[in-house]
Amino acid sequence: MNANDVLESYITDVAVRLPRKQRDDVAFELRALLTEELQARALADGRDADAAMATELLHSFGHPEVVAARYRPPLTIIDPADARGFLRATVIGLALIWCAGLLTHLWQPLQTGRDVPQALGQWWVHTVVGSLWWPGLLVVGYGGAAWVRRRWPDTSKWKPRAEDRIQGGRAAMVLGIVGVLSGVFVLLEPTWVLDVCFGGRAAPAAYEALTYAEGFRQRQAPWLLVLLLINVPMWLAVIVSGRWSTGMRRLETGLSLLTCAVMAWTVLDGPVFRTEVSDRTVRFCLVLIIASVLLHYGIRMFRTVRPAPSLRGMQG
Amino acid sequence: MPLRYCAPHSTVFHMGQAESFSKLELELRRGVVVLATLSQLRAPRYGYELRQALADKGMPIEEGTLYPLLRRLETQGVLQSEWRIEDGPPRRYYALNADGRKLLKKLTDAWQGMNDAMEKLLEEGQ
Repeated sequence: MNANDVLESYITDVAVRLPRKQRDDVAFELRALLTEELQARALADGRDADAAMATELLHSFGHPEVVAARYRPPLTIIDPADARGFLRATVIGLALIWCAGLLTHLWQPLQTGRDVPQALGQWWVHTVVGSLWWPGLLVVGYGGAAWVRRRWPDTSKWKPRAEDRIQGGRAAMVLGIVGVLSGVFVLLEPTWVLDVCFGGRAAPAAYEALTYAEGFRQRQAPWLLVLLLINVPMWLAVIVSGRWSTGMRRLETGLSLLTCAVMAWTVLDGPVFRTEVSDRTVRFCLVLIIASVLLHYGIRMFRTVRPAPSLRGMQG
Repeated sequence: MPLRYCAPHSTVFHMGQAESFSKLELELRRGVVVLATLSQLRAPRYGYELRQALADKGMPIEEGTLYPLLRRLETQGVLQSEWRIEDGPPRRYYALNADGRKLLKKLTDAWQGMNDAMEKLLEEGQ
């Protein structure tokens, strides 16, 4: 290749990445400019331009993709301000999906001690490759949010938020109380749900499926009932005062963690229902509830800010 | 005794490194590239000639930055351009249009305001 061939190859690589209507014109201009730059360089070096000199010039000019991008207005899909949040959500999400998939695929083979490599292969194909939907979904979500912010800037204006506000307002708290009372209703006697829904005409097997095991009824159920009921006066007090005081927040946190502890005890202690399917389902739900509550408090703790000077950079 | 804060030594060390300086200098230069380019296009010029003019006046701009910038400014409606054949191959000449001249005036005023402020700020430190 001579110097001219190198230039032509570069110009084609830049131009092909430009919109069709300006492609040829830019290529023509770029050829004239690069030729002139190369001639000037050859004159300065006191020798004829060759392929090496042309390549050196083009390396300093920039990669064709980068140069082509400079010809157009910058395009940002995910705002720089969102980049770290996007990365964190991607990594955490993928880690959770991969771990859950690993457990699902390896649980059986590890117990039998067979087919572990095959299970790992299935995990790779079905879970790891399949999990790419997650970053794709995040790109769409973050990209959509960035577009909305640019299109309607007023919607994303920062607004002050009181730390003691009631999330969702009083209506949400009232709904919460209704939910707690429904939970109490179910906890007292789950077969009442069948009576309410089917007027007492549900199949006997349904009644059998929703009958508590005696151990749960005597040990954990009373504790869960009391802990659930304590929520009602606490939330009523919050509704009346219109805000969460520090004391109420602490009470709520303590109550939630205590409830989680009793739920964990329930999961580990023995059957909740007499039939195996109901028991397995309710225990799975309890584990999900415990995980989501702990995640909620973990995130809250992680996001806590207590302004204080860093001892590392301080001189007394 | 009042609290006094000082930057950690590692920060000072890193900021002093040539790479960090280059990045900060590049950021400074980025801010003035458009103004410098517009200032030299009161009369029509083609890309290479413009780059030489800027370099001669102490503002070298990489060719890979300057040439695409001319097209972007034209797309934004502040430059006009045309192909001309004078003594040599065909060249595309760029010049300010009416909107470009208004923009240059505004940017010049803004730059001079900032420059005055910076001079005062930097004099205080000497």
